[in-house]
Amino acid sequence: MAEAQVGLELWLFAVALGTSMLGGVLGMASGIFIVPILTMFGRIDIHTAIGASLISVIACSCGSAAPFLKERLTNIRLAILLETATTSGALCGVFLAGLIATPVLYVIFALILLLSAQQMLARRKESIVALAGDAGRWAALGLDSSYPERAPDREVAYSVQRLPFGMALMYGAGLISALLGIGSGVLKIPAMDTALRLPIKVSSATSNFMIGVTAAASAGAYFARGEIISSIAAPVALGSVLGAVLGARILMNVPNERLRLMFIAILIVLAAQMMLAAFGIHLLGHAN
Amino acid sequence: MKTEPALAAGLEQLLSKLLHYGTLAASAVIAAGLAIALVSGAPGMRIATAGIVLFILLPVARVGAMLIFFLRARDYRFGAIAALVLLIIIFSYLVGAR
Repeated sequence: MAEAQVGLELWLFAVALGTSMLGGVLGMASGIFIVPILTMFGRIDIHTAIGASLISVIACSCGSAAPFLKERLTNIRLAILLETATTSGALCGVFLAGLIATPVLYVIFALILLLSAQQMLARRKESIVALAGDAGRWAALGLDSSYPERAPDREVAYSVQRLPFGMALMYGAGLISALLGIGSGVLKIPAMDTALRLPIKVSSATSNFMIGVTAAASAGAYFARGEIISSIAAPVALGSVLGAVLGARILMNVPNERLRLMFIAILIVLAAQMMLAAFGIHLLGHAN
Repeated sequence: MKTEPALAAGLEQLLSKLLHYGTLAASAVIAAGLAIALVSGAPGMRIATAGIVLFILLPVARVGAMLIFFLRARDYRFGAIAALVLLIIIFSYLVGAR
């Protein structure tokens, strides 16, 4: 194998490892960083970058699902129901991705980066969680559940609210996920927190669980189109899995505040870059 | 119908094992492929591609496992929902392959 190729693979591996480790600390999917870094600094075509990112998103979702499932934080029934909406969105995203011009993709990506920055700045607040007692119209579906809270040790019951609104937002999240190759946590989290009114721990775990299926729905199509290049996607996937494992083990106790602000700054810089790139201006790196 | 709690706990165990070992297997195949590619080029990259395909199929297998579980629990409504998700995924692959 040519030395340049090995160098590129090592760089891809390192990028995925680093972003995945940092993302893990802040409970944020790192997929959103992969595409901008690969296109801006790696001179990689945006469709190839999206394909690689989707594999990394699947790997992170599957790799981190087990502890959430064991702690009963993931609402499996709700997940499979919402996945009808996210995969439908992904199906449309796959279709649209073939039609949308590359500069427009850059603009949409920049907007999602800004939205992520804004969300990270605002932080998540626990919405008023409806107790299972006032279960509403969706009780018959058996979606309402409970999860164990550690301190104080108790079982917290919750019920699912405003399901149609939540499903509509999930459709949008699936579409954006397929279009940009991200997990779309940035859209899933508000859908679950505000529309469905789930406790934060449950919505994080359930969103993470769903992200894999959503990404798999579009990754198969990208693969069939030949847009998943193994020499790019393989090192990225491997780096992401390792980064997620290491991030969870090593960095759990790092103070978050400064890191959070650094992340917000990076998101804004990347958004600006993507926006400029949409108009053919490249300040950093050398994207084509 | 709500699935019995004991049954549901079984599903959580099953899915967490499937996803955990599936991730390990797919990662190991990709790592082996990249290592072989480093030494001898193309054949290694084909192995890495197999690992990538494993990753794409892992969530699909998870939905399949849920489908079987719901059917065996006679929870036909959620069985149908899981089947619908599988159909949408397959349809998306067909759209992509076209």
